Amino acid sequence: MSDRAAMLAAIRQGLGRGALGAEARAALGRRQGATDSAPLLPGLAQGPLTQVFRTGLEKVSGSMAEIATEADVPRAVAGYLAAHGLAAEAVIAPSLEALDWAGTDLKVHFGPTRGGDLVGVSLAWRGVAENGSLVLLSGADNPTSLNFLPDHHLVVLHHKDLVPHLEMVWTALRERGAGGWPRTVNVITGPSRTADIELTIQLGAHGPRSLHVLLVS
Amino acid sequence: MQSQSHAFPERAVHALHDQTLQVALRRAKDGFAVKRAVAVAGLPEFDALRDRAVQIKNHTLEHLDHYLEQYAEAVERSGGTVHWASSAEDARRIVVEICRAADAKMITKGKSMVGEEVGINDALEGAGFEVVETDLGEYIIQLAHEPPSHIIVPAVHKTRGQISDLFHENHQKYGLTRRLTEVPEMVNEARLILRDKYLAADVGITGANFLIAETGTNVIVTNEGNGDLTCSLPRVHIVTAGIEKVVPTAEDASTLLRLLARSATGQDLTTYTTFSTGPKREGDPDGPDEYHVVLIDNGRSTMLADQFREMLRCIRCGACMNHCPVYGAIGGHAYGWVYPGPMGSILTPLSVGLKEAGHLPNACTLNGHCADVCPVRIPLPDLLRTLRHQEYQLHLGAKRLRWGLAAWVWFTSHPRLYRLGTRVQARMLALLAGRKGRFTRMPLAGGWFRGGRDLPAPQGETFMAAWHRRQRDPGQRAQAQRNLDQREQAQREQGQ
Repeated sequence: MSDRAAMLAAIRQGLGRGALGAEARAALGRRQGATDSAPLLPGLAQGPLTQVFRTGLEKVSGSMAEIATEADVPRAVAGYLAAHGLAAEAVIAPSLEALDWAGTDLKVHFGPTRGGDLVGVSLAWRGVAENGSLVLLSGADNPTSLNFLPDHHLVVLHHKDLVPHLEMVWTALRERGAGGWPRTVNVITGPSRTADIELTIQLGAHGPRSLHVLLVS
Repeated sequence: MQSQSHAFPERAVHALHDQTLQVALRRAKDGFAVKRAVAVAGLPEFDALRDRAVQIKNHTLEHLDHYLEQYAEAVERSGGTVHWASSAEDARRIVVEICRAADAKMITKGKSMVGEEVGINDALEGAGFEVVETDLGEYIIQLAHEPPSHIIVPAVHKTRGQISDLFHENHQKYGLTRRLTEVPEMVNEARLILRDKYLAADVGITGANFLIAETGTNVIVTNEGNGDLTCSLPRVHIVTAGIEKVVPTAEDASTLLRLLARSATGQDLTTYTTFSTGPKREGDPDGPDEYHVVLIDNGRSTMLADQFREMLRCIRCGACMNHCPVYGAIGGHAYGWVYPGPMGSILTPLSVGLKEAGHLPNACTLNGHCADVCPVRIPLPDLLRTLRHQEYQLHLGAKRLRWGLAAWVWFTSHPRLYRLGTRVQARMLALLAGRKGRFTRMPLAGGWFRGGRDLPAPQGETFMAAWHRRQRDPGQRAQAQRNLDQREQAQREQGQ
């Protein structure tokens, strides 16, 4: 017996039954999930989604600025770096390469990072208002390393991509079809933190020390 | 990992007298309970979500074979490999083989309790690999050569001073010789050292908080970003997961995620929730070339057969130990294996046997706090009682305890004799104690008085006698009723 067959047999013995028939398995496959009903979604605070998102993000020490169009992103990034006394250098996700970075005095390169960059700029696929979370998908245009290695992470989020709950992200991923799920889906809620020494919260454990969202309205 | 649970009484006494540990434990206890209470109060749907979570876990366990097969097929479709490990030994062998085949030298790890359970680190180090834990807490206890003392904050028993010493001793080889005293500089030094390890690692090993059957995805939650770097940077990613981690869909995982962080740390959601599916795709600039999942049974399928199936709902949040007076007094190491506190007092005897770990289910006050806070409503006190019962039936407890219990059972089933006995005893003890009303020593009970503890003496009357006296005296009965009325009135006013 293969390892797989042996383990499945042990599980069925524990359950006190044999293998499920094709019909029973097909019925399970048609379910929407374990509870076979729409997920229970917590009510959100009153007010516009942007405000709910901002409240969640600021609760976990993230920050946010609203800009009018995507074309304003390079200037907003340059402004953020200057305001925080950071060198005018950044690694940018290829998904944002088409923007006019040359129009600023930023020194930029596009692609993944191996940790030599202090600032990374990425594009979020969705924002989730419930907890102020960002959803980033891996892919040729969106290196996962930008989400974790730079000290400062700036993330562009389009207002149209803001959804109330995480469940809407899964629905949208199913609708993406063929490719389905990318290798990595990062749900990011604030900058990196640890409380492993005397339960004292310290930002910037292994990932970014700061997280700043540029919301394109 | 080798169990030391048989030595629980000695280890517990040692822990109670360890002043440094007591300082660390006091700090932890209140912090966690208060943070959880605040987070739960902020989500009116919390209890309804708990009911959903119970449904999700029960349904999945009832059809565990189906969902594991569905999960494995989805992993393979996305280019990953699934390995099936019936025992801890199988799991260790499989992980070592994957690392050998990858020609690995350096291995980084994200925090994984099942990894501790099956002893991955020792196996890998024994096979000559360099293994580095990357969760700050796990890194600290790896330097100290200790097992975790808590499933969420493994180094909760260490003080800042002890961590400073460990870093000073172990970081000199990197040219870092300054002694650190502040938390931020210690976190920064660990960040600096571990950054190089991530980048140099050939294999990254993480656990899984959930496995999603529909998509073949593993989910990990971290606050530091360490597990996320571990599964993204090395060329091979290995996931070790207990078979009970599977859920049907991402929506089911989302329901459980709303409960997990609130119950564990009092956060609404952890900083990073990372969903990994297979190896990197064509054109991806980063991510691993190989993706392996090791599904581990190690006694779980046996638990499906009886009431201990309920224990398989556990999502490893740690709320039960954060609210346990016994854990709060002695910390995690006294329990002697991987899982401490109430959940550990059930999992340990089920894994290493009641003969080895029979003390653990007895080290419980049955106050029920653990069940009250459990996000998946595991009836922990009931399961602990069942284990006590099994221990008694198997004649495993200490002889003295068995005789004592048998004598007590005989007495309580003869109420007249019991009352007479207690009446005589209460009067005698009151006389013996004299005016002080306290004992400072007593024959055969020397242990109680160790360390200067005394024992209040009975006041000469049993509860039953006092009750009957009050019932007979109309004046006292009326006073008792007035007291009761007043208390109820006060409670009503408080409620408004």
